[in-house]
Amino acid sequence: MSIKKIRHVVGLTALNVLFTVICIVALIPILYAVSLSLSNGNAALGSGLLFWPKEVMFRNYSAILLDEPFMLWIKNSAILSGGTMVVAMGTAITAAYAFSRYRFKGRNGVLKMLLILNAFPQILSMFAIFRLFKTFHLLNSYVGLIIAYAGSMCIFGIWNMKGYFDTIPVEIEEAARIDGASGNQILLKVVLPLARPAIIVTAVMVLIFVWNEYLFSTTFMMNQSNYTLAAGLYQLQSNDYSTSWPLFSAAAILVSIPLLIVFFCIQKYMISGLTAGGVKG
Amino acid sequence: MKSRHKFLPWLYILPGLVLVGVIVIFPILYTGYISLTNMNMYHWDNYHLIGLENFRRALLKVDYGFLSALMATIIWTVLNIVIQVGVAFFIALGLNAKGLKLARVYKTLLMFPWAMPAYVSILLWRVGMFNTEFGFFNKILAAMGVGKINFLAGNIQAFISCMVLNLWMALPFMIMMMDGALQSVDRSYYESAKLDGAGFWKQNRYITVPAIKPMLVPAIIMTTFTTFKQFDIVYLLTMQKGALSGSTFQTIITYVHQNAFVSNNYGLSSAVSIVVFGFIIIFSLFMNRGIKEEP
Repeated sequence: MSIKKIRHVVGLTALNVLFTVICIVALIPILYAVSLSLSNGNAALGSGLLFWPKEVMFRNYSAILLDEPFMLWIKNSAILSGGTMVVAMGTAITAAYAFSRYRFKGRNGVLKMLLILNAFPQILSMFAIFRLFKTFHLLNSYVGLIIAYAGSMCIFGIWNMKGYFDTIPVEIEEAARIDGASGNQILLKVVLPLARPAIIVTAVMVLIFVWNEYLFSTTFMMNQSNYTLAAGLYQLQSNDYSTSWPLFSAAAILVSIPLLIVFFCIQKYMISGLTAGGVKG
Repeated sequence: MKSRHKFLPWLYILPGLVLVGVIVIFPILYTGYISLTNMNMYHWDNYHLIGLENFRRALLKVDYGFLSALMATIIWTVLNIVIQVGVAFFIALGLNAKGLKLARVYKTLLMFPWAMPAYVSILLWRVGMFNTEFGFFNKILAAMGVGKINFLAGNIQAFISCMVLNLWMALPFMIMMMDGALQSVDRSYYESAKLDGAGFWKQNRYITVPAIKPMLVPAIIMTTFTTFKQFDIVYLLTMQKGALSGSTFQTIITYVHQNAFVSNNYGLSSAVSIVVFGFIIIFSLFMNRGIKEEP
């Protein structure tokens, strides 16, 4: 073996060791939670650093599913995510299409304004929204929270999907027009199928956003029966640590699994979807 | 046909604009109005206009905490971005090393922190990592015979703890972006550079960095915004309701939230919101100057 080759092999081995260490370090918090969620509660808290519990138990999982209103939280989160997705996508798709295809007065101005609004954290106007909602009796209501989420997600959706619509050649639409298709027909039968990847990614990102949001949901939904997953977990965690920590880990794992699956399914599109929107912005 | 084109696009964007107008723009205007009043817990209904008093309090009085929160936010953003970009660059370089067969496995494993719901990660870290009694870090310290540390008690500890967590959560995204950009660089440049005798550092400085820069700028700008407005980590780690950790470190966003929902200084909090909004407008205009919108 030549010296060059040996150096290459040694370098690769070092790199592999380094990456193994990085991956383990990155996964420690998750592994720790998994091991606790499978353990017999208090025993794990005292013992050392072992990542595999002495006896594997699913008691915490059954406890969270049966004793806590976990299913209710899932239902509430699902209603909010689904509702937000429908409202945000319904308004954003047509708007993104119009911004991409038509040149009209005020177009650039509105687009720039939306871009700045997208950078504005909604937390900053949360109190104003709270006060308005209180006046209009929208606190503790799905409708109020869905509108609040949909507003910011609509902006995100317009920018994200406009970038993709821009890449679809106009010629296809012109051909359809010559064949006698109306404006709405073109949108529904030609453009939407072509833009499906962008629409799916944007919709999933709206779902993920709402699934993960906790501040608005904990502030605006004050009844226990309205709690979302975030609010429920938040409350579990803020109870007495020593008893609820394994329970909380189990709940955290349960909440993360569907998201992890969705995430890894769309991960490939996610980066291109995000950069497409970003470059144009 | 032409007249329809004037009307049709507005018909398409109207629902979206109405939604954004009602739920985003109107609350911002309303925040602006509240910032000019003395609205607080005692003046929930009978508030009145007091002009720019809130802005004066926020911007000129050091002890109101806005200026220190602003400083903390700037340090927070700069440190996080610099470390993220630097570390992610080298990790992505490593992942793209010739002959690293397990690169895909590493990439998948490194994705996990990104894919977890943010609040779940933060709460897991709060109880699982940083907690004085059963936190992982303190277990390691105990195993080494060192006493327990309360990672969230002091301002500096809390700041560093928040930063560690933020890096854990944000690095995967940056690594993936870097990785995607690196893969698009033409390998043949390196071959000829090697022939010319350029070493590792020279190759990166003159080929890699210029080549990936245009692809990364949007991602870095986006991350800068997210880091700047990061609220969850600081709030959930150190200042959730009924579980204050003892640290008083604040970013401007937590400062606004604190004044609106804890101290009930609605006027002051709204004034700070408007100031922050001003910053964001200036920052966005500055950032977008280079990126041109097609005609």
